[in-house]
Amino acid sequence: MEILVYGIINSVTLALMALGFTLVYGISGLPNFAHGALYIVTGFIAWSFIHTLKLNFLLAMFLSLFVTGLIGAAIYRLFLIRVRGMATSEIIASYAIGLAILEGLRWGGFKGMTYTLPVFIEGSLQILGVQVDLQRIMVVVVGVVVMGLLWLFTHYNRIGLALRAMAQDERAALMLGIDSDRMAVAAMFLGSFLAGLAAVVLLPLGNIVVEAGYNVLIMAIAVCIVGGLGSWIGAILAAFLIGFVQILTVVYIESHFQIVVALLAIIVTLILKPSGLFGRQKELEERV
Amino acid sequence: MTLKGGDVRQERIDRGIKVRTGGIYAVSSWKEIGYLLIPRLVLIVGLLILPLAVTNLYWQRVISIVGIYALLSLSFDFLTHFVGLVSLGGAFYVGVGGYMAAILNTKLGLSPLFTIPMAALGGAAICTLFLLPCLPLRGVYFSIVTLMYPLITARIIEALNILGGTDGIVGVASFPNRWVEQYSLFGLLLLILFGLRRLVNKDIGLVFRGIKDNDQAVKASGINITHYKAAAVFISSGMGCLGGAYLVHIYMWSGISQLALDFSIIPIASTVIGGGGTLVGPVLGAFILVPISELLRAFGTLRIVFYSLILMAFIIFRSEGLMVYAQRKYHQFERWVKV
Amino acid sequence: MKAKFVVPWVLFSFFILLFSPPPAALSAEKPIIIGCPLATAFLYGWDAERAIRLAVEEINAAGGVKVGGKKRPFAVEVMDTRDLEPGVPVSDALLTLEKLILEKKADFIVGGPVRSEAALAAMDLLSKYKKVSILTTGALTPAYHARVAENYDKFKYCFRISGEAVWMVTGEIIPCLVDIGNKFKVNKLFIMVQDVAHARGGGALIAKIMAGKNWTVLGDPEIYPTGTTDFSMGLLKAKKEGAQVILIWMDMPESSILLKQWYDLKVPALPFGSIIAPAEQPGFWKATEGKGEFCLANVVNAGNAPSKATPWTMKFFNAYTKRWKIEPEGYGTSSSYMAVYALKEAIEKADSLDPEAVIPALEKTDMMGVYGRIRFNAKNHQIIPSLDPKEGAVGTIFQWQKGKRVVVYPDKIATGQIQLPPWMKK
Repeated sequence: MEILVYGIINSVTLALMALGFTLVYGISGLPNFAHGALYIVTGFIAWSFIHTLKLNFLLAMFLSLFVTGLIGAAIYRLFLIRVRGMATSEIIASYAIGLAILEGLRWGGFKGMTYTLPVFIEGSLQILGVQVDLQRIMVVVVGVVVMGLLWLFTHYNRIGLALRAMAQDERAALMLGIDSDRMAVAAMFLGSFLAGLAAVVLLPLGNIVVEAGYNVLIMAIAVCIVGGLGSWIGAILAAFLIGFVQILTVVYIESHFQIVVALLAIIVTLILKPSGLFGRQKELEERV
Repeated sequence: MTLKGGDVRQERIDRGIKVRTGGIYAVSSWKEIGYLLIPRLVLIVGLLILPLAVTNLYWQRVISIVGIYALLSLSFDFLTHFVGLVSLGGAFYVGVGGYMAAILNTKLGLSPLFTIPMAALGGAAICTLFLLPCLPLRGVYFSIVTLMYPLITARIIEALNILGGTDGIVGVASFPNRWVEQYSLFGLLLLILFGLRRLVNKDIGLVFRGIKDNDQAVKASGINITHYKAAAVFISSGMGCLGGAYLVHIYMWSGISQLALDFSIIPIASTVIGGGGTLVGPVLGAFILVPISELLRAFGTLRIVFYSLILMAFIIFRSEGLMVYAQRKYHQFERWVKV
Repeated sequence: MKAKFVVPWVLFSFFILLFSPPPAALSAEKPIIIGCPLATAFLYGWDAERAIRLAVEEINAAGGVKVGGKKRPFAVEVMDTRDLEPGVPVSDALLTLEKLILEKKADFIVGGPVRSEAALAAMDLLSKYKKVSILTTGALTPAYHARVAENYDKFKYCFRISGEAVWMVTGEIIPCLVDIGNKFKVNKLFIMVQDVAHARGGGALIAKIMAGKNWTVLGDPEIYPTGTTDFSMGLLKAKKEGAQVILIWMDMPESSILLKQWYDLKVPALPFGSIIAPAEQPGFWKATEGKGEFCLANVVNAGNAPSKATPWTMKFFNAYTKRWKIEPEGYGTSSSYMAVYALKEAIEKADSLDPEAVIPALEKTDMMGVYGRIRFNAKNHQIIPSLDPKEGAVGTIFQWQKGKRVVVYPDKIATGQIQLPPWMKK
């Protein structure tokens, strides 16, 4: 029972971390290695809003999401757009930006272990005989709601449809009058927004520290690769797969193999089936 | 572009002397021999004088490190721009070479004279073996899988508590003096640099480049490309392992941080700055980038911020790199012509 | 377009240059330079830096160090080693150390490197350059002084004035656990540690010893990789198996998640942090909104939390609080402060800066310091620990009670009693 409940929580956590990354990659083909930095930066923005500007808690959360979205869009519009399509350059440039943001935060005094965000709701609850704190239930609720909204957005909204069109066939989308650069910026806004969302629901569980940015990035990459780069459904399913495998590792093997399992998943998936478990097969592009 | 007097465009033309020195006729005059030799001599003499010219004790240490990063950058440039395998896992080679040298030295008591070549060759064999399953992968898939190799190796060493665990291996022998350390390193660097330049223009180099440009076509000509890719990985990882072995002996220590991301990132950065695909460029890039990073140390935490901004600016605004630019200026002249 | 981006950056860097701190004020006599390789972006780094600066300011204000008939001031050169950062090779930290020695011309090294891998690797460099070094923070590994004892002639330059893992376990944690057991009639121990050598070794050692003291150790120690963000499975296991004390040994910031989860799940066991980095900081209470109450934490040396170990303890504590507007935070603060004083005494005794003279003088150090009597073991250059501040260096285990750090162990310096969380009382 515990395995089921905490497996779901862990999986949704991973899915939240990975959603923004996979969205951006799916739409504009950009492996956004600044993802972890955007995640952390949201935490610190929210913290500043609450503690420096004394804003209302919920307002601060929402504002920080928009600010992060704008930061992401600006990064893309000003810098990354120039190396579009060159995967290695994109990786290095976005990683460098992420590093600059993270180290800049540290220089700006955001170091140590005393930065925390308040939780949404206090307390804990018994589910199926397992004690769970309400914030973790919130995480699951938010995760499910976000996935649902994302589905609605990409199926019923003009911008969402345009994004999906770009993900499917960029040239055809261009011919139909969709401005691919604008859409890529929009995708980056959305991706950063999602990274921020993950941050505001997950960070209250612990504290905001710069180093976590790297872990979030690795977990996001793991989930996206196993699920198939750019495949949203794949990412969600892979999050559940890795999430449960991790919990099972803790229970039945030993907890310190958790990260080894995630990394091993990446390598094995890439070697056996680079398009991931649920990705579209593009045999010739991946391997010879 | 429109200037006064109508539409113009820039035209680049090879210098006459470049054309003349292309063949055997280069030996016909001193001027032409000089044209060919001067850039090479500047590099060779420059590298050989450097340990003598640097008098500041601390900077003498830095140039050894620079030499190691130059090796790593060379390894990255070769694999990326001549074989088309973008490996983001340079740290894996450093780690394997480093651990190997450290174990050979501390357990078997071999001197650096033996451990370094053994670590370079043996380490290259190990790296090639481990990377063998990934060789069919292309593009970003190969990059990501190689990025994961050093991470998982570090985690496995940590989780299984092998090879010294998180304490690392200490007490590795050092070089007898800095002259041996630096001249052997720079000598090897030059040897590998010029050796690689020859190699890429031989038949095998042609196959390598063929694989990079169109692997299907190479495969269709009945050439086993995995075989060639493995050979290329062996050469490239050998350089990485060599660098790792040197590092271990310079600092008399080996540990999991030999697998740190910095060893993957900095060589890439120096290749970007120096100019990919030139082989000399990455070496120069390392000689520019690493000292800059040392100068930035005065800024403390801010150092990495500057550093990554420089890297990003180069990738985005000057992606050809310094060496490509310099070669163009050396070999060609530019003029504006009317359209 | 290009120029547009470049110009602000150039301006920005000039701006930084302009406002970077000016070189230390010149004094009449040539200063004695203390080089401090520290991971300044981390608790154990900046804490040590502040403590060293405080000690140096105090000494300089009192006239400086008397050597060769002159009063010479101390000067501090701090360099960021970044050695606690993932992704940064130790060689980078070692290069920093070499920069301090070769370029900044440091006469002595005080402080780090902080990470044990780096500290061990630094020993070879220190012996190569013949620089006396006092390790004050970070590395707890017993391998450090073992290496000194093994090869004294080579590594005699290395001293450690802060605690080490074996004494912490056998001398402080185990007796404290036994006390808790006797007092509250509990004997079920659950161990959660981080996946690093010192934590794993410490956890295993505690498990072994406690099992021999009529305690039930539930299962193997749970080992968590650095960066874990969910501890619920372990905590639920502890709850199910009826653990009464949870021993935590983690220096990663995420361990505060562990405490929050412990509170939210109301696990009926006392959290005992042998090393638990976030709980050491005074800001911890606010950061966890009080959820960390009842957590015990070890700050290795007295003086890092308010207590009355020696007359100097509170003097240091107040001076630090006044100077930096914050209480001493983690372990490594009082020891870094003392290292400067120990060094000053040794230099004055040796009347020279020559390592060959300073080393025997340091070995003969015997002073009442912030955390008790400061003496080095002459064979392995490790500080001599004790439970009595009159005998040796004392540690400190404190408990968070109502927003305050109350020292509960050792008894001689305790300012309060251990309390159990209300949901634990039967």
